[in-house]
Amino acid sequence: MLMDMDFDDDTPNRCTTLVYYAWKIFTCLFLHVLLVTMVVLYCLLGAFAFENLEKAHEIEVKNSIYVMRNNVTSDLWRYTRESLVLYQDNFTTNVTARLEKFEQDLIYAIRRSGWDGEESTAVMQWTFTGALFYSIIVITTIGYGHIAPKTLNGKIVTIFYAIVGIPLMLLCLSNIGDIMAHSFRFLYWKVCCYTCTRRQRRVQSLRRSRSQRSTTRSHGSRATSLKRTGRISQRSADSALGMSDCYTRSSYSDTECRYYDRMEREYAMFGGVMPGKAAPNRYSQQSRYSDTVPLRRHSPAIKPRSTSQNSGPRNNANYYHGRYRVPDPNYSDGDQLDGPEMMQQVPSILFNKYALDRDESRRIRPKQGEEIRRNLRGHSAAPNLATEKSSTLPHGAGTSRANSSRSKTPQHLAVDMPPMMDDHDPDDYNPRPKFRSRHRNSNQTKRLEVMAPSPRIMSPLGFAVNRQYPRRSPRYNDYYDDSDAYEFDDNNPDHIKPVPIWLCVLLVVSYIIMGAFLFRSWENWEFPDSAYFCFITLTTIGFGDFVPAQSRSNKEGDDIKLRIWFCSLYLLFGIALLAMSFNLVQEEVISNVKTVARHLGIIKDEDDEESE
Amino acid sequence: MERKRSGRRYYNKRKKTWTQQCKDYLRQFIAFLFSNIGIICLVVGYTIAGAFMFIFIESAPGNSQGIIDLVTANRTGTVARLWDLTCCSTYYEDDWRTEVQMHLRSFQSHVIEAVRNFSYEGASKEMERWTFSGSFLYSLSVITTIGYGNVTPRTLLGKLATILYAIVGMPLFLLYLSNIGDILAKSFKWIYAKCCLCRSCKKRRKRMLALQRKEQWKMDMRDLKLNTGVLTEGEESDDEGTTDGSSSLSFNDTQEVTVPISLCLTIMVGYISGGAVLFSKWEDWEFFDGSYFCFISLSTIGFGDFVPGSKITGTANGSGSIQVSFILCSMYLMLGMALIAMCFNLMQQDVVMKIRTCTDILRRITRCKN
Repeated sequence: MLMDMDFDDDTPNRCTTLVYYAWKIFTCLFLHVLLVTMVVLYCLLGAFAFENLEKAHEIEVKNSIYVMRNNVTSDLWRYTRESLVLYQDNFTTNVTARLEKFEQDLIYAIRRSGWDGEESTAVMQWTFTGALFYSIIVITTIGYGHIAPKTLNGKIVTIFYAIVGIPLMLLCLSNIGDIMAHSFRFLYWKVCCYTCTRRQRRVQSLRRSRSQRSTTRSHGSRATSLKRTGRISQRSADSALGMSDCYTRSSYSDTECRYYDRMEREYAMFGGVMPGKAAPNRYSQQSRYSDTVPLRRHSPAIKPRSTSQNSGPRNNANYYHGRYRVPDPNYSDGDQLDGPEMMQQVPSILFNKYALDRDESRRIRPKQGEEIRRNLRGHSAAPNLATEKSSTLPHGAGTSRANSSRSKTPQHLAVDMPPMMDDHDPDDYNPRPKFRSRHRNSNQTKRLEVMAPSPRIMSPLGFAVNRQYPRRSPRYNDYYDDSDAYEFDDNNPDHIKPVPIWLCVLLVVSYIIMGAFLFRSWENWEFPDSAYFCFITLTTIGFGDFVPAQSRSNKEGDDIKLRIWFCSLYLLFGIALLAMSFNLVQEEVISNVKTVARHLGIIKDEDDEESE
Repeated sequence: MERKRSGRRYYNKRKKTWTQQCKDYLRQFIAFLFSNIGIICLVVGYTIAGAFMFIFIESAPGNSQGIIDLVTANRTGTVARLWDLTCCSTYYEDDWRTEVQMHLRSFQSHVIEAVRNFSYEGASKEMERWTFSGSFLYSLSVITTIGYGNVTPRTLLGKLATILYAIVGMPLFLLYLSNIGDILAKSFKWIYAKCCLCRSCKKRRKRMLALQRKEQWKMDMRDLKLNTGVLTEGEESDDEGTTDGSSSLSFNDTQEVTVPISLCLTIMVGYISGGAVLFSKWEDWEFFDGSYFCFISLSTIGFGDFVPGSKITGTANGSGSIQVSFILCSMYLMLGMALIAMCFNLMQQDVVMKIRTCTDILRRITRCKN
């Protein structure tokens, strides 16, 4: 990050941005590769450990079977010898009883002692491949149970192995699912629907680039909102992000169209999909704002809207206020927590962001020195602050009654500036608003927690469900934002245009059917049985009544090994695919369920939860 | 949420027609089903319905009887062959033993096949497979994705029904988990904030937060080249603000407390060992086996090498009678998974908090260097 910033300082042009994105891609790839490598290594480690722990016990069990059968033979021989006269009835009852006992012993040996039904020690369950398969089965929580640890050590190791392995696997799968979702979305929208979306794309991409900047801006503000650091530090934290620095700077130095061009290319690179809804309208609004920037403070018509959001980065409460209660005639239809509307509100922040940028750039451009960076980061230029202040004030009047009287007149602005800096004001400007802000903020988070319940990352279905859409909860989203792996998610409001549900369902169903055909040919199962097996496996239920590579008929070691490898790959990829389709589908499912629920008359809080 | 609902009710009162009223009741009922208490009823009801469905599908006559007959026939055949061997041929012990070994081996392979392919577990267990309790546990293991696999459907219809049942049931259970996990997390946080964090600690915490904020401002101010004289005054006003708002903020503050990971882990370990004690009492397992079973169940791995057996499902002493231990076992599983979800929720929040603090520190460091 530091390095990037230095680069940007020297030459804030296309080249550095390219370097920056290359670095981003590199880190992203590296992270994914690292994660996958970690999982693979973890599996291998588990395979070694379990093989060593369990192999001795399995050999023991296998030998005990031979002893068991010998005992039966001896018992039968004893029956025969002891009886002086051999009656068939007596013999039959005795032998039947003994055989029943033998049968029970066998069942116990299979069920409890983990005997695989094979006596020769040449065919083992706990080979390296088998143990590897076992490790995968454990950390994906499928748990067939066809092989399970029988020794005390094995059980203890399994528990700890699972404690570490399951979250690791989930993380990895969710990452892979994200990548796959992105690429699938890209494939669908860019390749399959190229012609039908081509016309709209230009306009949408323009809009996208702006919303991109707004998200980076809000990113910074969220980081500080957590720490409750107040208003001023927002901008500095914002600039501490190399990303936003890069954006703002490029927007200052370069022409706007160049900027957009680059953004567009970037989205094409990462398989983004352009948001489709009401783009031209928004764009015209943006352009209008960008044109009327100098007039902004004097124009009463524009002022309320832009100010309510301009104040956002400076104050937590106002920030949320601006986010959630945008007085936007186009999109405010009453319910603020609706998913699509939330998504549309993200772009609604952006035009004033844009205006603010322009405002700053207008101010900064005359200086053009090395002071630029300082200005950007600390935004220490007094006039700049004054303008921001002026834009903040009307909104402050809306939120806090205390300051409404004195903050309206423009000549106070310069006087108010120093108190604003340290969040303290002699004449009750700040303490009360600050308290209110915190109150509102906590209220907001409380409601958001109601909205976004429960473990998103640790979904019990075995894959993580990222909520990629409206950043309604700063808490969850910050988690994603903080890790570099989600950097692109953060930048992509492209989940607005989802892949249709039927396609995802079709994908999963065809994957299951494909697996069913493959396993039918490999394992000689019936077709319904193999489809059932695939379903039970991919949902991680894992009964274990059908387990691949267990049939007694062919015992070629290589074949079994190959089949185990194939099966592992199949189920890993399948679970990632399922995670991907969840990722893609959830937005639309949620909105669909919400519509249905609204028709039924169920309130919104509940149907949001309903659509897990 | 409550207020909204009552508002809707009031709105609906205007129309008084019979059908409208019916619709309203239906609506309220559905809304109740997806509320926090209703979802529990929904999951339990769904599981019970599934239990009856699987009993109906799977316990068709001759279904499980077939495999018992097969094994019995095999056994009788082996006995007859042994009798032939014993009585009708002059024998020496060695020859006899090898012959008997051979027969036993074929018998053994038959049994193994029965166990492998038809999950045969002995004649006595075969009958109790699809009792109500067994079927209930099966339904529960499907929708929780535990999947013990001790009881599996054998008919094609049963398999199909399982698939459909899982498709509907798993999202339902996820919904249950998220709802209950959320409630549990909230109440636990509240308890934690009330009991474990005393008031003085809280104040100290707040003061530390305020201090952090001060430092941040100081830093910003250095950037802004403002004099720091106003800072001391800011401190006082800040304290004033927090004490002012403490009464109304109390609940929200408890929700912002992060519970430490160690506590979550303690809860999970405590829950698992509590279950281990219970199960070792009911099932005569060893304590470690009980905890192993609890872990494998609650992590939804579900090997099925240990399953709640006949002593819990109540078929040992009377046919089909539901025992207290069975109800407790089901409740243990359902509550346990919600508890695990809660713990993960809390741990995640804690981890996120820490990560964020770290990144903020990192950012500040980089900024300072610049």
